[in-house]
Amino acid sequence: MRLTVFNCSPRGKTSNTRILLEHFSDGFTTTNGNSCEIAYLNPSKSDDELVRIFQKAEHVLLAFPLYTDAMPGRVKAFIESLEHLCGAPNNPKLAFLLQSGLPEAHHSRYLERYLEKLAQRLGCVYTGTIVKGGIEGIQKKPSLMNRKTLQSFRELGINFGKTGMFDERLMARLANPEKLSVLQPVLSSLWWFMVKEKSGLNGLYWNIQLKKNGSFEKRFARPYTG
Amino acid sequence: MSECIPMKITILDGNSRAENSIYDDCLEELTESLIASTHTVATLQLRNMDIHYCTGCFGCWVKTPGECALNDDSSDLCREYINSDLVLFASPVIMGFPSALLKKAQEKLICLILPYFELVKNELHHYEVHHSSRYDRYPLIGLLLEKGNDTDSEDIKIISDIYMRLAINFKTSFIFTRILERPVEEIVHEINSI
Repeated sequence: MRLTVFNCSPRGKTSNTRILLEHFSDGFTTTNGNSCEIAYLNPSKSDDELVRIFQKAEHVLLAFPLYTDAMPGRVKAFIESLEHLCGAPNNPKLAFLLQSGLPEAHHSRYLERYLEKLAQRLGCVYTGTIVKGGIEGIQKKPSLMNRKTLQSFRELGINFGKTGMFDERLMARLANPEKLSVLQPVLSSLWWFMVKEKSGLNGLYWNIQLKKNGSFEKRFARPYTG
Repeated sequence: MSECIPMKITILDGNSRAENSIYDDCLEELTESLIASTHTVATLQLRNMDIHYCTGCFGCWVKTPGECALNDDSSDLCREYINSDLVLFASPVIMGFPSALLKKAQEKLICLILPYFELVKNELHHYEVHHSSRYDRYPLIGLLLEKGNDTDSEDIKIISDIYMRLAINFKTSFIFTRILERPVEEIVHEINSI
């Protein structure tokens, strides 16, 4: 199988999306004969070149973070550049990887509906959408905290490499938590606990960066109102 | 003319094609009708603004809190937005969703909220994680969509549901999705009823 991955994250090669894709593609290429090519939207080749890469692909995986409840603007621009391919013969099979900073997969399910319809609109066979929340800060977390998530991406890649499909059980496990359980706020991970509030030990993830930038005192600034 | 509460309305115009005069004329007619109803209307024609794509740098949260770290026109966008009573996201539907131009502008609004998380109860009384408010008050939001040749009711539903989610993150209520077409009086009437 030949997989073409589009890393559509606005952060490009420094993105959290890249890390997830590394583990997925690492699993995918464990099957003999499989190959994986990665194209970046940021910084990108021209739209024409990206469209050509899309047209030549066998299986495509478009990967990006959720930005204000939908795809990043640059990704929408790329989608628009594919308009002339709607219904074209031999369009690739199409899958998506949608990750978000907010912990619950639920936030991404609304865009997932759009993505499934997008595949239909293009006339591509829809493989599925991998959804994973809680990804912001993954590069700053101790590797032990990420191990399970990244291993799941690798397993998903291995399975996809053998079958050409996403394993539903693995997808469900990866998406967890789909929504917050009643106990989630109490039993949530140390990491989530550290980001959720505005000051003190809580909010630590943001406050460390604010202090490093000399901006902690201005963290609640309201520059656009009197 | 029925009485209504005058509002400060901002229209974020995501039409990127100057040759789409049907859309532009319709939006202009809507604007004039809203002004005649005593509202104050500012239309930001996004194709004529210098707005860069969000790079996910978090500068608006941790370097220059509340403002985009990139030097572009998003400061004007954010200032108009947060000082409005109602913001209308207006766009042609392209490939089943509002334009990349509108989406590019929309994500620059992220500086109007804080990076910190909080728990919000949804309509089913379940908790969800969302970002916290930076400001005391946020405008109502609505959608004005020009249908494309391939736009169907499912597309409109998908788009509307996504903007309802946006409303939660932007601490407000989503009031309507309307198709941008003549006659515009129905849209005006609905806004006047707020």
